[in-house]
Amino acid sequence: ASEMSKDLMPGPYPRTPEERAAAAKKYNMRVEDYEPYPDDGFGFGDYPKLPDKSAHERDPWYQWDQPDVRHNWGQPMHWDFDMYIRNRVDTSPTPVPWHTMRKHFLLFLSTMLIMFGLGEIYPSYRPVGPKQYPFNDLYLERGGDPNKEPPVVTHYEI
Amino acid sequence: METTLLLNTSLLLTLAIILTPTLLLPVSKTSSNSPTTITRTVKTAFLISLVPMTLFMLSGTESITSYWEWKFTTNFKIPLSFKMDQYSMMFFPIALFVTWSILQFATWYMASEPHITKFFFYLLTFLIAMLILTIANNMFLLFIGWEGVGMMSFLLIGWWQGRAEANTAALQAVLYNRIGDIGLILSMAWLASTMNTWEMQQAPLPTQTPTLPLLGLILAATGKSAQFGLHPWLPAAMEGPTPVSALLHSSTMVVAGIFLLIRTHPLLANNPTALTLCLCLGALSTLFAATCALTQNDIKKIIAFSTSSQLGLMMVTIGLNLPQLAFLHISTHAFFKAMLFLCSGTIIHSLNGEQDIRKMGGLQKMLPTTTSCLTIGNLALMGTPFLAGFYSKDLIIESLNTSYLNTWALLLTLLATSFTATYSLRMTLLVQTGFPRTPTNPPTNENNPMITNPITRLALGSILAGLLITSYITPTKTPPMTMPTTTKTAAVIATALGIALAMELSTMTHTLTYPKQNPHLNFSSSLGYFNPLMHRPNTTNLLNSGQKIASHLIDLSWYKKMGPEGLTDLQLMAIKTSTTLHTGLIKTYLGSFALSILLILSTQT
Repeated sequence: ASEMSKDLMPGPYPRTPEERAAAAKKYNMRVEDYEPYPDDGFGFGDYPKLPDKSAHERDPWYQWDQPDVRHNWGQPMHWDFDMYIRNRVDTSPTPVPWHTMRKHFLLFLSTMLIMFGLGEIYPSYRPVGPKQYPFNDLYLERGGDPNKEPPVVTHYEI
Repeated sequence: METTLLLNTSLLLTLAIILTPTLLLPVSKTSSNSPTTITRTVKTAFLISLVPMTLFMLSGTESITSYWEWKFTTNFKIPLSFKMDQYSMMFFPIALFVTWSILQFATWYMASEPHITKFFFYLLTFLIAMLILTIANNMFLLFIGWEGVGMMSFLLIGWWQGRAEANTAALQAVLYNRIGDIGLILSMAWLASTMNTWEMQQAPLPTQTPTLPLLGLILAATGKSAQFGLHPWLPAAMEGPTPVSALLHSSTMVVAGIFLLIRTHPLLANNPTALTLCLCLGALSTLFAATCALTQNDIKKIIAFSTSSQLGLMMVTIGLNLPQLAFLHISTHAFFKAMLFLCSGTIIHSLNGEQDIRKMGGLQKMLPTTTSCLTIGNLALMGTPFLAGFYSKDLIIESLNTSYLNTWALLLTLLATSFTATYSLRMTLLVQTGFPRTPTNPPTNENNPMITNPITRLALGSILAGLLITSYITPTKTPPMTMPTTTKTAAVIATALGIALAMELSTMTHTLTYPKQNPHLNFSSSLGYFNPLMHRPNTTNLLNSGQKIASHLIDLSWYKKMGPEGLTDLQLMAIKTSTTLHTGLIKTYLGSFALSILLILSTQT
């Protein structure tokens, strides 16, 4: 007794224009706007294929019947309406076009990664030099020949 | 008296004091659970927690205590153990001090809130979870605290649950933290299987720690501490009330990720790949957040990106294998960041809810105490010599300049330091100076001591904390002592360049006209396009494929195609092919059967 009557429930795919008109009236839509899902065995029936627009794109200041989902009574709901509520997917147009956003972001990311790679190849460190010992770089202590001339050692002073 | 006994007793007393409002909740409903009581409880806990801190500072006492053991299996036990070392004992008073100031502020800020007691309870539960995380000696207790702070963050960001943007932001926070939790559980599993314990005081491995569990820890820190890649939840978390932003998303919760890396630094120390990853990730985070902060117009978002940038700086310090310095930055950052948020809360309430800095101005004369503290906070953030931020930030930059590290990370961090100065000065100029752009009769009022006391207390902390902590805590690693003058003053020069940039830009704004849109402005103010590029395709695909799996895969395929209808289709196919073969001439077939039987019988006999 509390269920909807049979003629209000969704039905099979409409084949004739009369069935189409009846389905559009059932869903409170104009016949020009009504477009069912293609009949390819997935079981959509005569449910209308509404444009994929989320609740974010609907006017936030209009006095909707249900303000939280921005929906009026009797308005046909999208098949995936639970995906398009305000807490989930947002399909509103972005100020910057999508391909520009993608291009700039990937440029940024790839520049950063390449520069990090370069930074690994050429790291920064305090200037270092080899350790310097006195006595001709310890020539005799290291087993050098006492008769020969020791090699010239350059010493640095900081 | 034995120092460890006093240490343990006083720290446990602190924890017990904080737990009392939660225990008294079912008992009495009248005044014993009001916001004032909770504020007073936290203040008492702060004063008691000063005892173990001074004890540690003067005698260096540390202790690890365990109270009860969960005998999970015969060779894997999980004790309830607390580690009272330098980090936990320094963190307790700081966190309690900041929380006390924030709670006192919240009694004024949330005064018109009907469920204010519940709000205070949530904040208290968050504090308990954070302190458990800090004092935990094993990964299990840390995980309890970790999840606790994540949950309370969700509840508090979505405090005004009628607002869809707040719900979305809370959901975002939970999801991004969950992705980080995957990494944490991965490393916990590795620890349990390799070391057979979740305790943290085990000796580090003599050989290099395998990179995979360290990647897990770094992923956990990326999620919780909003490093680049898992960062969008932190600016979105500004949907929550300002005391929530001040407590969770500036001083305490977001440092949990860095704190995890500090606690597990023996594992990180001998794996250079993980350290370099920390360094590069931190440098990228700090620059990205600072770039985004340059063009924001919401005062809370600017401070949120500032937090994100400083967290990146802490990650950089971890990457330099200097956990103690990272902790010093956590401690000093808590003071001035919480103060910045409280000042912004006063400004927002005084302008009747206005959060856009383009509609503020000239507040220096209208709100003198608040704006002075805002200035002190900004100066501390920029690393002005001898304020709190200087002691940690300058040391970090010095260590950066004198280490063997990735050049690009060094350049990015220096650039981020100057950007910090730029956006701080931009905020100061637009909020405090110039002509007022507010409506003509705002309810400006800062005469309430509930406002001025917390802010001035935190200002005092911002000025003195760095000096006090560095004077009393000896560093475990020798800091670089000698360096050229340029290197020593690099941080100050970078900051000065940032200030010069900001002054130049502000004079340009007043004198020259600028084009409205350009690619760099778009990139910065849209937060690098990260949010739409990542959020929209991923969620659409996930939800769509989920719907298709539920309806088409399960209903259509498994129930129908794999069962009756599939069989029907196969049989139909077979039938259609074989229908052409047989023509249905029964009498001819019977006649041919009879003829062949007769032929066989005749040949037999």
